[in-house]
Amino acid sequence: MTSGKPSENKGADWFKITALVALFIAAASLLSFISGLVKIIIISALLAFVLDPLALFLESRGMSRTLATTVLFLLINSAIVIAALFLIPLFSEDIDAIQINLTSEKAVAAISNIEDLIEKNLSFLGVKDIHLMEKMQKAAAGLGEWAFSHLLDLASLMLHLFLIPFMTFFFVKDGRAFKKAFVSMVPNRYFEFTLRLISNLDTQVANYLRGQLMDAMIVGILSTIALWMLGVDYFLFIGVFAGLANFIPYFGPIAGAALAVLVSLLNGGSFTNVFYVILAFAGVKLIDDAVVQPVVVGKSVSMHPLIVFLVIIIGGKFFGILGMFLSVPAAGFIKVVTQESILNLRRYKAI
Amino acid sequence: MNNLWENIFKRKDKEGIRDILKKIPVFEGLGGNDISHIERILHRREYKEGEVIFTQGTPGFGMYIIEDGSVTIAAEPSMEVLAELQSGDFFGELALLDDSPRSATAVAKTPCRMLCFFQPDMFDLIEQKPQMGVKILLCLARTIGERLKRTNAELHALQEKSAKQD
Repeated sequence: MTSGKPSENKGADWFKITALVALFIAAASLLSFISGLVKIIIISALLAFVLDPLALFLESRGMSRTLATTVLFLLINSAIVIAALFLIPLFSEDIDAIQINLTSEKAVAAISNIEDLIEKNLSFLGVKDIHLMEKMQKAAAGLGEWAFSHLLDLASLMLHLFLIPFMTFFFVKDGRAFKKAFVSMVPNRYFEFTLRLISNLDTQVANYLRGQLMDAMIVGILSTIALWMLGVDYFLFIGVFAGLANFIPYFGPIAGAALAVLVSLLNGGSFTNVFYVILAFAGVKLIDDAVVQPVVVGKSVSMHPLIVFLVIIIGGKFFGILGMFLSVPAAGFIKVVTQESILNLRRYKAI
Repeated sequence: MNNLWENIFKRKDKEGIRDILKKIPVFEGLGGNDISHIERILHRREYKEGEVIFTQGTPGFGMYIIEDGSVTIAAEPSMEVLAELQSGDFFGELALLDDSPRSATAVAKTPCRMLCFFQPDMFDLIEQKPQMGVKILLCLARTIGERLKRTNAELHALQEKSAKQD
């Protein structure tokens, strides 16, 4: 009798582990299969979180939720159309100009100087024939290709342009009804617990997302001003890129700085100029870490750098570039759900 | 035809809820539109006989209004009955203002239909319709003030009784 028990337990454990692994594989396959739809739902839900306070503000001015959501969407769509009319031609010119610059004589001379300098000083490390020019041209071509294939791929853009606002509209308009319908399905025993969990999640996730958005805007503006003061070309494009890249922790700020350094070098900028550009980005990062982040983002969803790194890789694997942007907020959401669930289950004496 | 009957019953049901809400001190002074709005945000729950609505010591999150049935409020661990409440009564309103633990356990004495008004819905309402939110907060303050006065009077009576006994 007694000798049979451990092997039975072992068998049960193995069954559980196998079932868990199978479940994980099934979930991952399903996720990759419907990744397009999941991506659209996640983006729409995140946008709805960000837009909710604006709809609430319009409601407090006497509008119904439907009217408030409609007015909000009309305003946002008008702003996007105006921005697109102004920014897309400007940015596509900038991207073209960066590519053309790479072949200019001045740039070729500047880059061969850098190549010589690196090869001379780092020859003891075995660095030779680095073909910097070729690599940079490839990178710049890649930048253009990336921007046009990901942002301006017409078919997917049209689908996203229609589906995302459509879903976001209903998430904003009927978010409360969706929540109420969900809560009505929860058994009485977990009713208060679920309501509290949803309410806390709402607050934390919304604060986190709004904080990130505000942070990205501030970093974008600060970077643009700094680059404009240093006289770097295409300062607006690089500033906007730096702001957007800031959504990806650790990698984002480096990517922004790298682009600015590249453009500065291509325009025949001296090492002093490059040094000032790096210094400016370091300054922006310092202001961001010391002032902006603690005030607007807070520490509520702080994650270990290793987790952030893994999450970005996984996000990129499943959903591409957009996945890298969305992976950190999504991981933050999962972290808040787990934290709040454990805390509330303890408070409600369920565990 | 069925839909017609369903709609007629639904309307009666809604009128019943509105009548109950109008008599709740927390919603006193609210107009017909405001009451309809409150009705839309309330959660409706059904409890079986003997089912626990909330447990003493767990964090409070909102108030319950008895639409139909009766509820026992009891103190743990002895489960000494503190009050028995009927249709139209309400309890737990203090939890609309703070998260402190529930001071007693509420159990459905008979099968119950409850209307539940929760803290996040109230805060949302204050942002969404500030005028209505202020009215509700004033009524809530008045209700809690009344309860405090009553508790003071009971305490005073008990003190007098104990002084006489000494």
